[in-house]
Amino acid sequence: MIVSKRKPLKELENLIRNYESFFLVGCAECATLCGSGDDEALLSIKEWITKSGKTVTGWFTPKVGCQILGTKRQINQYKESLNQAQCILVLSCGAGAQTITELFEDKPVIPVNDTLFIGNMRRFREFEERCRACGECLLGITNICVITLCPKSMLNGPCGGYKNGKCEVNPELRCVWIVAYEILEKRKLLEKFYENLHGPKDWSKSNSPRALRIEGKD
Amino acid sequence: MNFKEKLNKGKFVVTVEITPPRGPDPLKLIEKIKELRNLVDAVNFTDNPSAKLRMCSMAACKLSLDLGLEPVLQITCRDRNRIAIQSDLLGAHALGIRNLLLMTGDHPIVGDHKEAKAVYDIDSSILIKVVKGLNEGIDINGNKLNGKTEFFFGAVVNPSAIPLMPQLKRFEQKLKMGAEFFQTQMIFDIEKFESFIDYTKMFDSIKIIAGIVIIKSRKMLNYLANKVSGVIVPDWLVDKIKRFSKDEDIEKFGFEFAVELIQKIRQKALCSGIHIMATRNIEDIKNLLSLIKN
Repeated sequence: MIVSKRKPLKELENLIRNYESFFLVGCAECATLCGSGDDEALLSIKEWITKSGKTVTGWFTPKVGCQILGTKRQINQYKESLNQAQCILVLSCGAGAQTITELFEDKPVIPVNDTLFIGNMRRFREFEERCRACGECLLGITNICVITLCPKSMLNGPCGGYKNGKCEVNPELRCVWIVAYEILEKRKLLEKFYENLHGPKDWSKSNSPRALRIEGKD
Repeated sequence: MNFKEKLNKGKFVVTVEITPPRGPDPLKLIEKIKELRNLVDAVNFTDNPSAKLRMCSMAACKLSLDLGLEPVLQITCRDRNRIAIQSDLLGAHALGIRNLLLMTGDHPIVGDHKEAKAVYDIDSSILIKVVKGLNEGIDINGNKLNGKTEFFFGAVVNPSAIPLMPQLKRFEQKLKMGAEFFQTQMIFDIEKFESFIDYTKMFDSIKIIAGIVIIKSRKMLNYLANKVSGVIVPDWLVDKIKRFSKDEDIEKFGFEFAVELIQKIRQKALCSGIHIMATRNIEDIKNLLSLIKN
């Protein structure tokens, strides 16, 4: 999922300074799981706005905030309260926020959240980054993503920075290459892994902006 | 004889690591180079070590070259993509720089520009392969260049890494990619170093230069142990330093410790030379070298 987190209120305060009335948009997908775009998050932002003497004209949670046409159909019924608002606040990831910017070209749209990463939820609202969408999945080699989990995206084993098996960048974490090494060893794939040099990685596969249109079957 | 010839002919070499200045003024650096000129076989200039901003290694190398002291250009993958690295290497070659030490590089987060974008387009093993290619007249994509470089290129290894095996696998990989010499991370444990050397005997004519540090104070040792990536200071050494009450006793011990390490390395002919690291003061290098002459 796309993991997002509400911006610091100080930053939001600055962003909404020039507006008096707001319409709020959440998201029933990832942002709901993250608690950054669910009903509770919407209500807490609503309360914060009204406390400062400003108005919330209405709110709405699309089923899938990053679905442009689906969200357009759903949001139509809120036309009136949308018209009353000077500004739309979006509580989703950056993709969801841009659905709204595309649908309302004449109204300022402000993201309430910062989009952090693609990750997994371990326990309730405990998230870990797992994928950097590099466009060329290498998980088949080590089964854990060294592109994402190694801060240097090393392809050929650990750097020289680890101490007692802990990462140079975050000493709380095990060096992911030490973990990958153990996986390769357990599977008796170590010698095979070191037969060839891996990379250099083709970073052109993650040149932005990317788009995909699937037509028919392969 | 140049650095490469000395290593290849089996002379015991002495190299020293110098960090370029933090600013545009090269005067102190020039003084250091002049003092080191007749003391050591080559000087490594670090590439923004610990990800802290310094004058570039290439400029320091050129100054050193002009003053008659053979430089080793240290180059990391942290700040430059494959285009910039190759371009810098071609430029360095045009300036007359021949010796390289190739590494991945400390992450920006440990340095003084934590907000910087970490590049790491390639890693040190790939970089070694790239330099081997340049020496054959081709770039990373196999495209022909207008000539061949003549780099003498080394890599780094940490014989004290914990766990050790993943580090040794990288070492073997670097060797396979063509690394011509190795400068090690700081050595504190002669036994660990000896067992590393025993292991390297399965490879032919390998050139290893042992990283040596002169412990000057408790603060310095703590800094190395806690702040410098990859440096493993054994607990017994930390405990030993704790027992000294006076700074001058620590410094005296620091010199004796370094001398003893070097003497053991020489007596047992463990490796091809020593690399004096993390020393700011040229007087200390002079003292150490005069002590090992006796």
